Formats: sequence, structure tokens, C-alpha cells
Amino acid sequence: MNPLPSIQARLARALLVWSLVWSLAVALAVWLAVQQQVEDLLDDSLQSAAELLKEPLMAEDAALPAESGGPDAAGSGELADDADGGFAWQVVQYSPADAADVLFSSATAPTVAWRLAPTTGFSDGAGWRVFGTRLADDGRFLYVGQTRDERNEVQIEVALSVAAATLSIGLLAHFWLRARVRYELLPVQRLAERLAAHDPIASGRSLGLAECEELQPMHAAIDTLADRLAHRLAQERAFTAHAAHALRTPLAGIDAQLAVALRESPPALQPRLQRVRSAAGRLQRVVSALLTLFRSGVELQRQTIDPAALVTRLAIEGLTVELAETQPISADPDLLAAALLNLLDNALRNGAQRLLLSTPGRDCLRLHDDGPGVAPERLQQLQAAISAQTYEGNTGLGLMLADLIARAHGGQLVLPLVERGFAVELQLG
Amino acid sequence: MRLLLIEDDDILGEGLRDFLSADGHSVDWCRTLREVSGYHGEPYDALLVDWQLPDGSGLDWLRGRRLSRDATPALMLTARDLLSDRIRGLDSGADDYLVKPFAPEELLARLRAVCRRSAGVAAGRLSFGEVDIDLAGRSAWRDGQRVALTAREWAVLEALVLRAGRIVPKDDVERLVVGFDSELASNAIEVHIFGLRRKLGREIIETVRGLGYRVGKPT
Repeated sequence: MNPLPSIQARLARALLVWSLVWSLAVALAVWLAVQQQVEDLLDDSLQSAAELLKEPLMAEDAALPAESGGPDAAGSGELADDADGGFAWQVVQYSPADAADVLFSSATAPTVAWRLAPTTGFSDGAGWRVFGTRLADDGRFLYVGQTRDERNEVQIEVALSVAAATLSIGLLAHFWLRARVRYELLPVQRLAERLAAHDPIASGRSLGLAECEELQPMHAAIDTLADRLAHRLAQERAFTAHAAHALRTPLAGIDAQLAVALRESPPALQPRLQRVRSAAGRLQRVVSALLTLFRSGVELQRQTIDPAALVTRLAIEGLTVELAETQPISADPDLLAAALLNLLDNALRNGAQRLLLSTPGRDCLRLHDDGPGVAPERLQQLQAAISAQTYEGNTGLGLMLADLIARAHGGQLVLPLVERGFAVELQLG
Repeated sequence: MRLLLIEDDDILGEGLRDFLSADGHSVDWCRTLREVSGYHGEPYDALLVDWQLPDGSGLDWLRGRRLSRDATPALMLTARDLLSDRIRGLDSGADDYLVKPFAPEELLARLRAVCRRSAGVAAGRLSFGEVDIDLAGRSAWRDGQRVALTAREWAVLEALVLRAGRIVPKDDVERLVVGFDSELASNAIEVHIFGLRRKLGREIIETVRGLGYRVGKPT
């Protein structure tokens, strides 16, 4: 059987999915929100780098020949080799003939001028973000650039950091909520435990106030159900008491009259009267079993019973009951007696003369008679009918009653396959 | 034994009355508690009482008798088979509790058992000197020889044996065996006592002058 869906497991799964989705959504939102700010920050650093480089370049301006390799690292070293920051720079000389000559540049800068025309401020081009500033009035411009890859890398780092932070918060929230769900579902578990021990018919008590508002309707529904059950039970008890009186007294009268008739009748009539009395006795046993069973649902009174002593009380004329070594069993004595009487009666009516009673297991009674038994196929049909409780038209009243009584004890009737005769096991839980 | 049967069901009451009578007992059968009041003061060996009667509860009636210090053995006959009912019945003064339907033979055996217990007799067979009496088998032996008794002699002997050690007034003996002979002559009891002494020995029944008869040593 498939396990039932669990509220706790389903909530845990939903929380996990939502934590992940929430983390990604928040990370995306944060990244979108800060993307421009990061871009601005990078531009600021680019501009600052240009300002930083401009001053030494202007200071050295007079001393530098135009064909020089440019200022050395002592002057602008921070940027000259700033491969890590991805900065590069060019000093470009624009001539009146629209020529743009790179006078000197950092190692990572391209040899061709970033800008063919003098440009100040920020501009984009060919994989670089460039900031340009005028160095002097003679047409020299300083350009500081940063690769687009470097800038993208920074953006990704920011996004990943945000994602990692939100994911951590999401997972923490997931575990906390999961624990909280388990805690919030505890009242349901406690209610189940209370219900397992709750017997409103016997105690006459209601479940009372629930632990939480959501469970109160369930408490009210259970109390209403218990009230209806108690009412129904009271009706059934009253009916059973009336039925018991209406059925038992005439049966006792019939037996008493037959006992007198047997004494007073001529010998020729006595066998016939004896058969009538036997039939009346069987009727008594069935009626007693039915009445006992009818009122048994609510008050199973288990006691430790010695099967040998019980069977001695249930002697049926014409059937010899032999006892194997038996052990005490726990059962309702009235119900067990009703079941046994009907099974013994069954055995007698099916041609058995002897019956062996044993206790093959705990709270299990086995009756094995020497009657003709039934074919294995029929035995299978009987067992299937008993297991499925489809008695009508499939089993006799005796087997049905015995099975119902076994089930009232939490067990069932089993018909083991035996070589000779017919065997029945009353498994009482 | 003289028995008072209180049972409102005609078929059962008649059947039990006839069965018990055929076994040699004198049975007064009442269908209602009102009828029972007509038998007030009569001595009985045992009471057979149905719980539910048309004009009241047999159990309450029995409880009333117990409160008035009447210790006559009583069997409750009822269709109520719940454990709580059986406990209530026994606690209210019943000596035994028989759930309908029952075999009259079982009723008879239980009747003998409660009367035996009431008389303080453990076994069904009693010995008084050279006389042995089997209450269940309704037989008597003297020196190992079975003695044939008439139904009326047995009734007188049984009435005294069930009250062994106690003095039973002659009037009570008469009333305990009434039913066997509705026209009991004034000296009938003496005649039966004489017959019993002749068959079982003079010592079996002691005459306590002016008070009645006694079997066995005084208690």
C-alpha cells in the first residue's frame, strides 16, 4: 500500500522549493538594483585612476621627449602594471591633420589610439570602457581604460555574493520553518494519542477544549459523534435487553416442557422428543451467541481462561471432546463459550464423534474433529469467504459467529488444511 | 423439597413446576408478586425467582426478604446475562444465578447445590450414624443396605436433613411436605416419622418434646 501523503513532508518540500526560488529571485532583484551602482562605482574608480595618472604626467611633461617610451613605473607605477584591476592607459597626440598618435601607453593598452578624435569623459568601444581627459593645450590627451570583461567579472562577483547571501538566509529560513511546522503539528499528534485512549462511552467525558483553534472543530465533531454513538448504543442495549427477554424465556419454556414431555411420554415417542429437544438446544446456543455477540461490541471483557475448564462446561451430547495439553488464554468467557458451542455443534452436525482441543499458540484455540472434513478446494473457498467476511451463502452460521467473535477479540478464524477431519483455529488477537 | 417458583411466563412456569414436581418436589407457582404475598410466612426449602415480573422486580422482592432476615436459599432465573447483572443479582441476596435458557436438569442440580450449601453440607452424601443419605440420588442406606422410602417419607426426611442439627417444628414439617398429600391427616407426620424410624433406626430422628423434630446433633 502506498504511504499516505504527509502534511509535514509536503510542507517541507514546498518550503525547500520556495526557499530556493525566493533566494534566486531576491538575488536577481538585488543584482538588478545594484547593477547601475556597481557600474557607477567602476566609472568612479576609472576616473580616479585617470586623475591620479594625470598629475605626474603633466609634471613630467616638459622633461619628456615626444619619442620617449613614456614615464617609468616610479611616476605612474600603480597603473602601469595594473593588470589585476584591468586598467590601461594611453597618451595620445592629435595633430591638425586628424592624426592620432599614441605617444606612450601602459603595457596592456592597445597600440592604436582608443579614440581617433579627442574625447573627454566616458565612452565605450571595442571591449573597453575609456575615460579621456586633456593633458595640455597641445593636443595631448590621456585615456584610461578598463576592459569590459573585467567590469563584467566584477558585476558577476557582486551577483554571486548576493545570491550566496540570500540562499544562506533562505536555507536557514527553510530549516527554521521546517522545525516550526513539526512543532505546530504536535497538537495533531497529541490529539491522536488522546483519541487512542479516549472512550467517551465508558467515561462519559467529552474531549474538552482543543490545544489550538484549528483543532476545536475536530474536537466538537468527535464529541458529537460520541454523543450519537452513545445514544445509538443505549438504544441497542435497550433493544438487546428486550430481545433477550423475549427470546430466552420462551426457549427456556420450550426446554422445560420438552423435559417434562420426555418423562411423561411413552417410550416410542421419546426418540422423537429427544431430537426436538436437541434441536431446541441448538437453537438456544445460536440465540445465546447472537445475543452475546450483539451486545459485545462495546464491552469485551477479557479474562484468563483455562480452556479445559471451559470445555467441560460446554459438553454436547454425542461429541467427545479430548484435551491436548492446553495453556490459559485471554478472552471474553461468554463470547468464547458462544463461539465454542457453535463450533462444537458444527462438528457434531457434520458427523464428528470426537474432537481434539489444543492451544497451538498464544491466545489461539484449535479444534480438530474426526468428521469427514471438506475438500481442499472447498476449504479454500471457506477461508476466502471468512477472510473477506462474505459469509452470506458461503459459510454456515457457526463459522460466521465464531469468526465474528474472533474478530471482536482482534483476531480471526483460520481453517488449516489437515489430513483427516476438519480443523478450526480461533485466533483471539 | 418445598419450592416457591415465581415466574410470569406460562410455558416456562408450567414446565418447571411439572418437571420439579415429577422429581418429587412440592412447587408453589406464582406469576406475580401479588400472588406471592398470599404465601407469606410459608416455609420453603428454596425460592426460584424471575427478575422481571409484571408487577415489579423479583430482585427487589428478594432483597426485601433478605432484609427481613429470611435466609431461604434463592436462585435467580433471568434473561439478563450481563456480567454486571449477574453481580447485582448475587449481591442482592441470590445464592445462584441462572441465565435463560437453561436445562431444567441444570436447575435441579443447582437447586440441590444451594440447598446443600445452605444446610452446611459439603457433599451430596451425608452420614448420620449407621445411616447414609444421598440427597442428589434421593436414596438412603442403613448399614450399607439401600432402604426403600415412600415419596412422603423422603420429603419428611429431606426437610429434616436440610435443617440438620436444628429443631424443625411439626407444623413446619407439615407445611414443607404439603402438596404431596393435600388432605394430610392430623397425625400424618407422626405416621411418616414412625415409618422412617422403622426403616432407618430410631436414632435417626429425635423428637424434642413440645418443639418438633431434629436430625443429627444439635448445632
